Amino acid sequence: MKTVTRYGMVIFGLLAIAGLLAPTGVLAVDEIKIGAIYPLTGGAAAAGRELRSGAELAAEIANNVMPNLAMTMARNGGIQAHGGAKITLIFKDHEGNPTVGADLAKKLILDDKVHGILGCYHSSVTKTVSAVCEQYGVPMINGSSTSPDLTKRGFKWFWRTTPHDKWFTKDLFELLKGLTEGKVKGVQAVEKKEIENVVSACENTEWGSLVTEMIKLFADEYQYKLRKALLYADKATDLSSEVRSLKAAKPDVMLFASYTSDAILMLKTLKAEKAKAKVIWGQDAGFETPEFQDTLGADIVGILTRTVFLPKVVEVKELAGQVNAMYRAKTGNDFSGASARSFTGLQTWVHVLEQAGSTKPADIQEAANAIQISGSELVVPWAGVKFSTTGDEIGQNVLGSGLIGQYQKDTDGKLVLEIVYPFDVATANMIYPFPGW
Amino acid sequence: MDILFGSIVAGVLLGMVIALVALGLTIIFGVMDIVNFAHGEFLMVGMYAGLLSAKATGVDPLLTLPVAAVVGFLLGALCYVGFIKFLLRGPMVAQLLGTFGLMLFLRNLALLIFGSSDRTVHHGIIVGKSFDIGMGIIVPATKLAAAGLSVIAFAAVWLLMNRTKIGKALTATALNAQAARYMGIPTEKMNTLAWGIGGASVTVAGALIVNFWAVNPFMGLLFTMIAFAVVALGGFGSVPGAFFAGLVVGLIMEIPGFWDFFTYTFDWQWMADVPMTSLKYMWIYVAYFVIMVVRPRGLFGWKQ
Repeated sequence: MKTVTRYGMVIFGLLAIAGLLAPTGVLAVDEIKIGAIYPLTGGAAAAGRELRSGAELAAEIANNVMPNLAMTMARNGGIQAHGGAKITLIFKDHEGNPTVGADLAKKLILDDKVHGILGCYHSSVTKTVSAVCEQYGVPMINGSSTSPDLTKRGFKWFWRTTPHDKWFTKDLFELLKGLTEGKVKGVQAVEKKEIENVVSACENTEWGSLVTEMIKLFADEYQYKLRKALLYADKATDLSSEVRSLKAAKPDVMLFASYTSDAILMLKTLKAEKAKAKVIWGQDAGFETPEFQDTLGADIVGILTRTVFLPKVVEVKELAGQVNAMYRAKTGNDFSGASARSFTGLQTWVHVLEQAGSTKPADIQEAANAIQISGSELVVPWAGVKFSTTGDEIGQNVLGSGLIGQYQKDTDGKLVLEIVYPFDVATANMIYPFPGW
Repeated sequence: MDILFGSIVAGVLLGMVIALVALGLTIIFGVMDIVNFAHGEFLMVGMYAGLLSAKATGVDPLLTLPVAAVVGFLLGALCYVGFIKFLLRGPMVAQLLGTFGLMLFLRNLALLIFGSSDRTVHHGIIVGKSFDIGMGIIVPATKLAAAGLSVIAFAAVWLLMNRTKIGKALTATALNAQAARYMGIPTEKMNTLAWGIGGASVTVAGALIVNFWAVNPFMGLLFTMIAFAVVALGGFGSVPGAFFAGLVVGLIMEIPGFWDFFTYTFDWQWMADVPMTSLKYMWIYVAYFVIMVVRPRGLFGWKQ
């Protein structure tokens, strides 16, 4: 009995020493695994592909040395603080389904042992995935979900780089106000009663219903008449009764929050039902995917979409132009709001990992809360990345900002998104009113 | 006022297509008392058949109707010969669960082959075109063509059922299969034929609908429910019943439009605040429920 105890003591002692010598995280890792959960199939698959490409490009830049790019992560060739460890992205497909997303997050954490999570696009999925991360104490950075509620939950393991819908919706009403005040480039001041009647149609998910709330809020604040605010079933197969309902309200301004397939269907139905308004505005997402542009072609000239990135940004930002060229070589498309933001999401991960100096969740948490990335490092036209740690929003990047773009035809007849808001960076005259079909 | 006329026209046009969707269900039920839960999946197959053959050959989706009809006929006939025939030996529950299983099988097969993404027809002779005939009535060309062709298909099936020997044989099988067999009618063949015609009519409807609705592997259930409501309203097994009930259900689907009409006529804000469009399919199920309680054999039903 005595020997057994003695052996036990020895083994325990050895284990304790081994433990002291090698606390987790100090061991050099040769790869850092980030789980990226995106909608790679389903209604938002087109956006999912872009999100994936954006994150992949950021990882490529972080893992290799590209001295011509004016980015910290392009000079290091891996995470320097971890002896040049490479970033490995593990992609998972949540299909736009919150339950699937949560299961995938668990798998990534428990089976793949990822060091952190990136994702998830749909706010509803981000909500469940971030709850799983919170439960397991695994850090998650979100680059592209814009439901305001996500950062109002006081989560300790969740950070969001993108500005959210409250800011974007306010931007829209600022644009309308600008129209009445003659601030919009190329448009004479219009009387407010000409653009007073507003209708909205948003998809009936977490994100869509919150956008509707925001529209209600700001319509009140800016004193516009919200004649109709309807929610339609997401992944809709038919929207004609919705469109007729919008049309019956005789709107001047139509606002939409839709993912890709719904956005295309909505526009096709609007055209088929000959419904139009003076201003048609999409809350990003479906309205700026390449699929949307390719499918609808010239029909979308004059349509506005809020976004965080437009190819036109390259005219004001050299770095964005360089990275965009790489993205174009990789995918054949220009950067969009989706890809530019997943790029920025992963870039933020790289900075956080550099600063943390270990892969211990607590160190990453501390680093994320203290991170400060300058705007000059980013491809998006923001002042930078810095997360709020106090107040009613926890983990929200306070240095982000939005853009409103308008589809126009350039001199070659190609569709481009021109910046019309903020007014001081407008790249073209705004087309007003919407020319119709 | 605009929205009222617009909604009525839209409802009637859609109703004609829905009638064609329900036709297959009512034929199969009429001939052999089987409720086919996989009916909506047949429609989904028809939509994919129309969409993919149009994409493969580059012709207008409307010209692919024969392909969809052949696919539907074969699908229906094969399902009967290879599967349903054996179910008939079992109790009623086996038949219900059997077709339910068929539904799951077809849906997941489509998911495997086509993926879960929505697909739509973007190009075609009449896709995206519409006529403005005044009073707020906008008629999308695809819906007009779908409604017109539905009526033609419907009439063809009605003529087949009522004016030909095959139709008489089918009716005889429906009324009393045993007696029909004694009279020398090959009832097995008739059953196969019923499934074939049922399948073909619903896949043709699918190929019409794909011109203006998106298709994904999960959309079948919605149409199964709609078709059930139509068949219940029109009477199980009744062909004219399916047509009129289809129109009624088409109009029921436009209830949000009628609601808007009253909203703006009286300018009541509380009406504008009711999310009617979110509830647009609810009324079909309400109607289904009411019919089941009040008149289970439907308006034109002759089978108990």
